Amino acid sequence: MPEGRGYQRLKAQTSLEDILVVATEFERTARDFYAGLVPKVSKQIRYLVEELAREEQQHFDLFTELLARSDIAEQVKQSIKTPASDRRFSDCIHLPELGDHPDDQAVLQYALGREHAAMEQYRSLAESTPPGPIRDLFQYLADEETQHKNELEKRYYEIVHSGGV
Amino acid sequence: MSVRDLLSPFTAWKNIFRDPVSIEDPFNREATERYRGFHQNDVQKCIGCGTCEAICQNGAIDMVPVEGVEGISTQPGDSGLRPRIDYGRCCWCALCVDVCMTSSLSMSNEYKWVESDPDKFLFIPGVDKKQWDDAKHGYHRPSGHRLNAPERIEMPELEPGERIDSFVEIVGGYSVEQAVLEADRCVTCGICVATCPTHMPIPEYIAAVRDGDYEHGLKLLYDSNPFSQICGKVCTRKCETTCAASHEGDPIAIRWLKRHITEQVPYERYRDIIGGPAPATGKKIAIIGAGPAGMTAAFDLARNGHSVTVYEAESTAGGMTRYGIPEYRLPSETIQRDIDLILSMGVEIHYNTRIGSDISMQQLQQDNDAVVLSIGLWLGRSTRIPGSDHPNVFKAVDLLHRIRNGEQLDAPKTMVVIGGGNVAMDIARSMARLQKQQHGEINITLTALEDKTHFLADPVEIKEAIEEEIRIIDSRGPQECVTDDQGRLLGLRSWKVLSIFDEQHRFAPTYDESDEQLHAGQWVVEAIGQMSDVSLLGEDLTEKLEWNRGRIQVDDAGRTSEPWLWAAGDCVKGPDVVSAVATGHKVAASIEAMFQQENADA
Repeated sequence: MPEGRGYQRLKAQTSLEDILVVATEFERTARDFYAGLVPKVSKQIRYLVEELAREEQQHFDLFTELLARSDIAEQVKQSIKTPASDRRFSDCIHLPELGDHPDDQAVLQYALGREHAAMEQYRSLAESTPPGPIRDLFQYLADEETQHKNELEKRYYEIVHSGGV
Repeated sequence: MSVRDLLSPFTAWKNIFRDPVSIEDPFNREATERYRGFHQNDVQKCIGCGTCEAICQNGAIDMVPVEGVEGISTQPGDSGLRPRIDYGRCCWCALCVDVCMTSSLSMSNEYKWVESDPDKFLFIPGVDKKQWDDAKHGYHRPSGHRLNAPERIEMPELEPGERIDSFVEIVGGYSVEQAVLEADRCVTCGICVATCPTHMPIPEYIAAVRDGDYEHGLKLLYDSNPFSQICGKVCTRKCETTCAASHEGDPIAIRWLKRHITEQVPYERYRDIIGGPAPATGKKIAIIGAGPAGMTAAFDLARNGHSVTVYEAESTAGGMTRYGIPEYRLPSETIQRDIDLILSMGVEIHYNTRIGSDISMQQLQQDNDAVVLSIGLWLGRSTRIPGSDHPNVFKAVDLLHRIRNGEQLDAPKTMVVIGGGNVAMDIARSMARLQKQQHGEINITLTALEDKTHFLADPVEIKEAIEEEIRIIDSRGPQECVTDDQGRLLGLRSWKVLSIFDEQHRFAPTYDESDEQLHAGQWVVEAIGQMSDVSLLGEDLTEKLEWNRGRIQVDDAGRTSEPWLWAAGDCVKGPDVVSAVATGHKVAASIEAMFQQENADA
């Protein structure tokens, strides 16, 4: 997978604030992507894209709120060592080519890839951050993305794998 | 009077030095260990089948609802009832204990109970708490003592060597003697009826087998299921999963007894026994799809005197039962007999007619009083792993369709199937027959994410697939359809699945990437899931309709958000013949109710 612009941006981040800005951008682009996809897909699977857009909006709100909190302003400016090994998170900021009329499986596969990348990124950040509130925050975000990914995997199994009796 | 007569009363004095025979305080005397005293019932084990009530010679047992008691609720396999004993009637014979299907009922060796209120002796063991609830001694059915046979009568089948190179039907069917013996095992509890999606009167038709009254049995079958011959061979038999006999033995072979009835009545008699349609009403109904749901709705509505036209894209009727189930499980002749019976009710059918291209949905709406959509699940899902777009990677439903359609497939020498459901077994076993015929040997590997104990396929299908030399490798996660430099398919690369679900039973597969295998296959066949082809609806109707998580939304009666359109079968309920029949009945009843309401309003 080629290194994307997002990766280059992320690699250069040194503070929690910068990371949160990229993460917020990550959620915003996904939200806008899903929102833009809604009118393109058949009504049969529109619920799925709408649900994904709502979930990304919730995460976007969460990050925006974190950035705006005055009580963690000092920690937000704290320097963070960004894991150099992971690039999938920022790659996922790029919008995928799902075609004009993607089906439910294609949408779910894309969403799963995003959630997995985000989960790994936050987990890596948590592991490379000293114990304290920032680490707890990354761990919280990793747990959030993990939970989201689990929900998507369940949906994927129900939709794709459960009809073959 | 002799001297002896005078002295004999005094001989009793010799007993004065013996131990007393009677107990001094009978009120505190414990009964013998196997004494048949007051009843005990393990209410968690009890399923409320009522067999105890049925066998009681004195009418001393009534089954009563005990909703609200912790751990007891009406659910599949449990009536929610529990036995209440009337000790004014009980004769302590213990037949109820001997016949109990779960061994939940027993008798303590407690025998004393004093009450001033006689109603207190109406007693629900296990629910009305008593001091003998935990008594160890008393009467329990002795091990091995059974009033009904625990093992089912084995169904005659072709041996693997006899069947593997042909599509001849495997199952032979019961003889009359075998069927009566199997029917005798049924205790007529009726627990199964609630589990059957179409609520067939199972105890009654099994009783008809016992009585040898096959015509009555056939009437019972077709009053509830116009696909009775088909279901007699391929029903998923949910009924047997809740059979009371399954708790301490084999479930009754309900499916095979249904089949037996249909085989005992001459086909020429069917129509007379079932009866013809009511006088014409002038109402018109269009049904899209001639599968089990559509044809069941057609049968019910035509019998009520309505004019029914079925539109079928294929050249024959039966839907997935015709094009998805192999001939060796369900012969075409069996399908055709049920179809012909339905058509004999006056149902008209247009074959090779595709809605959306040959006729529009709008046209059907204009020309009919009601339209039923029963379009099944004809599109196979793909894993979409790398290489799955190779021309030698197929979907199981497409291959099964081609085989049932009479196409002569050139079977590859090696093949891999992905999937652990019945469709996977069907395609693996069908291709095994073709391999045997064309190459003399079988080389098919079936892989699935699940371990064998969690395969979705019927255990009998798995057993028979193994007998037919299908190599089943469970817990494998497909990663890639591998090709060589010339683009020829080499097989499937897979990883070992460590777990599929997390602790909350959510799909979250984890793999051991170090355990990688290449399963050789010139073909790879995907059998992981199916979906409906709803393109026939067109964009406008698709937008108008309400959807429920990818499926057409219907109310409890099968009606969609468009008042002229109903939907039934696999496309709303998932793949299952008898469930499709049930939804077919439901939409027919809903349409009938609408007509009656219209007549009442007129």
